[in-house]
Amino acid sequence: MSGASQEDEKRLDQAANINLKFKSQANTLRLYLTCIRHTLEAAMCLQNFPCQEVERHNKPEVELMTSPELLLNPGSLGALVEVLPCDLEVTGFIPGSSLLQKCRILICRNEAEKCFIETSINSIRVSMKVKQADELENILAKKFLRFLSMRAEAFQVLRRKPVQGYDISFLITNYHCEDMHKHKLIDFIVQFMEDIDKEISELKLSVNTRGRLVATEFLKQFI
Amino acid sequence: MSAVEVHQFAQCITCHAWSPDRTMIALCPNNTEVHIYKFTTDKWDRAHVLYKHDQIVSGIDWGLTSNKIVTASHDRNSYVWNQEGSEWMPTLVILRLNRAALCVQWSPKENKFAVGSGAKIVCICYYEPENNWWVSKLIRKRHDSSVTGVAWHPDNILLATTSTDGKCRVFSTFIKGVDTKDSGTSSSRDLKFGEQIVQLDLSSSWSFGVKWSPSGNILAYAGHNSTIYFVEDVCNSPFQQNVAYRNLPLRDVLFVSERMVIGAGFDCTPMVFTKDETGLWSFVKLLDGKKTAQPSLKYGSQFSEAFGKLYGQSKNDGVDPFKSRGGAHENTITCIAPLRREGDTIVRRFSTSGLDGKVLIWELDEKMEIPQ
Repeated sequence: MSGASQEDEKRLDQAANINLKFKSQANTLRLYLTCIRHTLEAAMCLQNFPCQEVERHNKPEVELMTSPELLLNPGSLGALVEVLPCDLEVTGFIPGSSLLQKCRILICRNEAEKCFIETSINSIRVSMKVKQADELENILAKKFLRFLSMRAEAFQVLRRKPVQGYDISFLITNYHCEDMHKHKLIDFIVQFMEDIDKEISELKLSVNTRGRLVATEFLKQFI
Repeated sequence: MSAVEVHQFAQCITCHAWSPDRTMIALCPNNTEVHIYKFTTDKWDRAHVLYKHDQIVSGIDWGLTSNKIVTASHDRNSYVWNQEGSEWMPTLVILRLNRAALCVQWSPKENKFAVGSGAKIVCICYYEPENNWWVSKLIRKRHDSSVTGVAWHPDNILLATTSTDGKCRVFSTFIKGVDTKDSGTSSSRDLKFGEQIVQLDLSSSWSFGVKWSPSGNILAYAGHNSTIYFVEDVCNSPFQQNVAYRNLPLRDVLFVSERMVIGAGFDCTPMVFTKDETGLWSFVKLLDGKKTAQPSLKYGSQFSEAFGKLYGQSKNDGVDPFKSRGGAHENTITCIAPLRREGDTIVRRFSTSGLDGKVLIWELDEKMEIPQ
């Protein structure tokens, strides 16, 4: 009896610890998410635009990347720059190819958590890397995000495969902006980013609890 | 200054145009059809549906004197529609394009029309009575990317274009046999067809929605970097002014008078720009329409369902999900058209249509001063 209550206490402690962690991080998280929200608000100005390369086709230019002039230069997001919180790193990403380097925005909270926004005339791609502190979190994040990606059509804006180096990607085209309210789309993405950490922590907690229970049950037979 | 009429015609409207007497409106509900609505006593009724295109219609223009409608579509074709009795009869225009047509406009005399395209080409079409068809002449050179907008100078010769390469260009479209030597201004008279008169490289991003002022002295166009450009005395010694504003980029602009411009775009609210006594253009204000009803819930349905499944209840932390934008449009405004009465020098009424499927008619207050 007393053992069980101790168990409970431990679990509560653990939960309280995690809550504390969240609270201390809440401020930087808020800044990070505000930054992403403002960037998306400025970047998500999409319009119907037929393909310049293939006759009678209409494709997301951010995926094709055939016409460099149709990818948006972050410098063009004129109205946005002043609202960015200054302690966050916002850089134009510089990959190997000079052709593509002008169309990307990288927002980093730290090494492990970053958000990568690529914009074009008729589509925008938002990729994110989720915090993974240990191996358990790593495998949980991988499995959970894979589960979501497999059901991409239920989410409409989810990309079936994340961009290389990121855990999950969203692809928003002008058709989504025609069907849905822009601020709701942005709310969805920001909400998703906010909840994903929590979700993984909860999963981790329940895996640990379950592991402990199973071990307890298993070891009972040796008493 | 407010929106005097709000009409929900469709789920989403790509472009619209008014009939000469302003009792009919032609609009594309974001598909292959063009719907013509007619105002009868107290409501708008759908009078005609023009279907001939097989991809989305990207441009409509209704001739004020000829009463002909020209449409352009992503299927690379254009049709000229002529009203015969109660029917609208289409005439196919072979544009000789191999990519989508993006925009179309009748010339002031309505003997020509211009089509901008994704093939980096501008087509100038004119009627050949001997063969009873519309012939297309191409301006092939110069454009490095899709042509997003075309605008005719009042002299019927000069044509301004905007393109996704960020530039704005002015061409001569003098066609022998269609234009006479005495038409046009002195500067444009001796130019050959397709000759580039000026190239304005002001915007660092895509440019849209080019327009000439009523006199043809000023050219205005919008850049995707939240800047509007005004160029005066374009043909002789261009003098430019850039006006940057805080809001999201514009898609289309309209000259209300020689010194006042309305712009509309991704911010869902029209903006007013004026030129003061010293000749400086500046942003004046946003035009706020009447508050409309709360945005309907049906949009979020699939998302909220997914939310519900994944997260239980979605919580609300300071972000109002129904953050009203305050304007009358709920989505991007893509098209702005004047409602001009004959003989008017200034446009007191104009209409905007957007991706929310609404057409709004705006009226400038009598007491509001409109600089001539």
